[in-house]
Amino acid sequence: MTRVVEVPTHFDDRTFDQFADGVGAGGAERLLFDAHATQWASPYGLLGLLVAGQAQVERRRERALLTLPEDRDVAHYWARAGFFRQAAEYFELHGKVPRVAASGESDVLLEVTPVRGADDVHGVVDRIQQRAAAILSRELGLEAQATMGFAMALSEACQNIVEHAGTLGWVAVQTYNWRRTLKRRVVVIAVADAGIGFRRSLEATQAKRYGDRWSDGTALEAALVQGVSRFRDPGRGQGLAGIRRYLGRWSGKLSVRSGTARFTLVPPWDDDVPLAHGLAEFPGSQVLMIIPAQNGGAAGHAAH
Amino acid sequence: MRHIDLKDVLQRTVSDGYGDLVTRRTGQAVRQAIERDLALDGDGQTAAIDFGTVRCLDLSCADEIVGRLLREQGAARAFVLLNLTAAHREAIQFVLERHRLAVVVQDAGGALDVVGALPDAARRVFGALAQAGTAAPEDVARRLDLAPEVARAALDELLERGLVVANAGTYGPPAPYRAGPGPAV
Repeated sequence: MTRVVEVPTHFDDRTFDQFADGVGAGGAERLLFDAHATQWASPYGLLGLLVAGQAQVERRRERALLTLPEDRDVAHYWARAGFFRQAAEYFELHGKVPRVAASGESDVLLEVTPVRGADDVHGVVDRIQQRAAAILSRELGLEAQATMGFAMALSEACQNIVEHAGTLGWVAVQTYNWRRTLKRRVVVIAVADAGIGFRRSLEATQAKRYGDRWSDGTALEAALVQGVSRFRDPGRGQGLAGIRRYLGRWSGKLSVRSGTARFTLVPPWDDDVPLAHGLAEFPGSQVLMIIPAQNGGAAGHAAH
Repeated sequence: MRHIDLKDVLQRTVSDGYGDLVTRRTGQAVRQAIERDLALDGDGQTAAIDFGTVRCLDLSCADEIVGRLLREQGAARAFVLLNLTAAHREAIQFVLERHRLAVVVQDAGGALDVVGALPDAARRVFGALAQAGTAAPEDVARRLDLAPEVARAALDELLERGLVVANAGTYGPPAPYRAGPGPAV
């Protein structure tokens, strides 16, 4: 039996919970992800789709179905973002996958890239420095120190997969215009996996401390607010705290969703809630970082 | 003073294709290589760790290479970090604050400073010594307009944490690193 899950028309962090609700906790049926009407997907949305596909393959040992966006431009963007290269392993694709030539400078700063181990993190950091430094400086007005901090944040977010997820994950980076509320150019980093999530990762060392209160939400609080790690080494648990500090300095947004909860460092330009409980269950962890253009950043082009 | 070039250590322990100090695994490999090299020296010899050829330093590597080395070897020898960029400095400051540690840094012009967690009085005293070279406690107190006991307490703290050395009643920062012939790893 096949169940249809609609991919939101505008698929980003705001519509992610609607998507997670559609995916559900996971039953016996095969899922068909219907993206034919999708007009736009952020890196966060694209990675969420991959995670849903990966979880389906792990559960059923069978690829899910995915209908491609009908709009050629949208499908082209997904191809340029490297989505289809990763998706073929988890989805039976229905629709024509556009062929795209490798382009030089682009709003896609880092295509959808798998992260399995430390070598992948080195590769990601190397590529982002080679390709993104000039763009971050010119379009977002970020100074050199901030560009290096950007690579640091990316490295720490990717290492979360390597150290905690217990499975592979993905990272993608893009710049675009943030039409909603901000009206400025932003750079967006999405990092996601279908692994064990924060609650299970921290359970052995933290659950007893919290007793009945132990949940996806308290696990996120422990990791992001208190810098708790599952390792006993006092040097551990600094990565997410460092990301928070970096984003706080540049008026950035950090959002981490795991299981049924989402923790958000809410910048002044956004109206998200700091902690959301009781969301639809979704596998693994999904990290979103948004850094807006600083004074001096160029006005953007492609608007979303 | 032993000079440790991090790019060199990175290339011979992890990969010659890497220019960034990122990931916990890389940090551990580099730290262990440094520890092996330092084991060849006697205790007490200052180690100068050169970041000049490192591009990105993430917090995991900053913790392994600086935080953990200081925690485990800080009592046995002084460390001086060379040629930090502002981004390196920020990452190291972050991890050392967490461990309540501090380390001496030297810029390309030879100027000395301290990065990490250090009370204001001790930071001011270090700054005065970095300019003067060496000084007796009463000279430090006079120069900074501090009560003698405050200056002495700050000097004791700096000495205990390996940020200054004492010799015949005077105190000073570790001898600045000067490039030239000598043991290098």
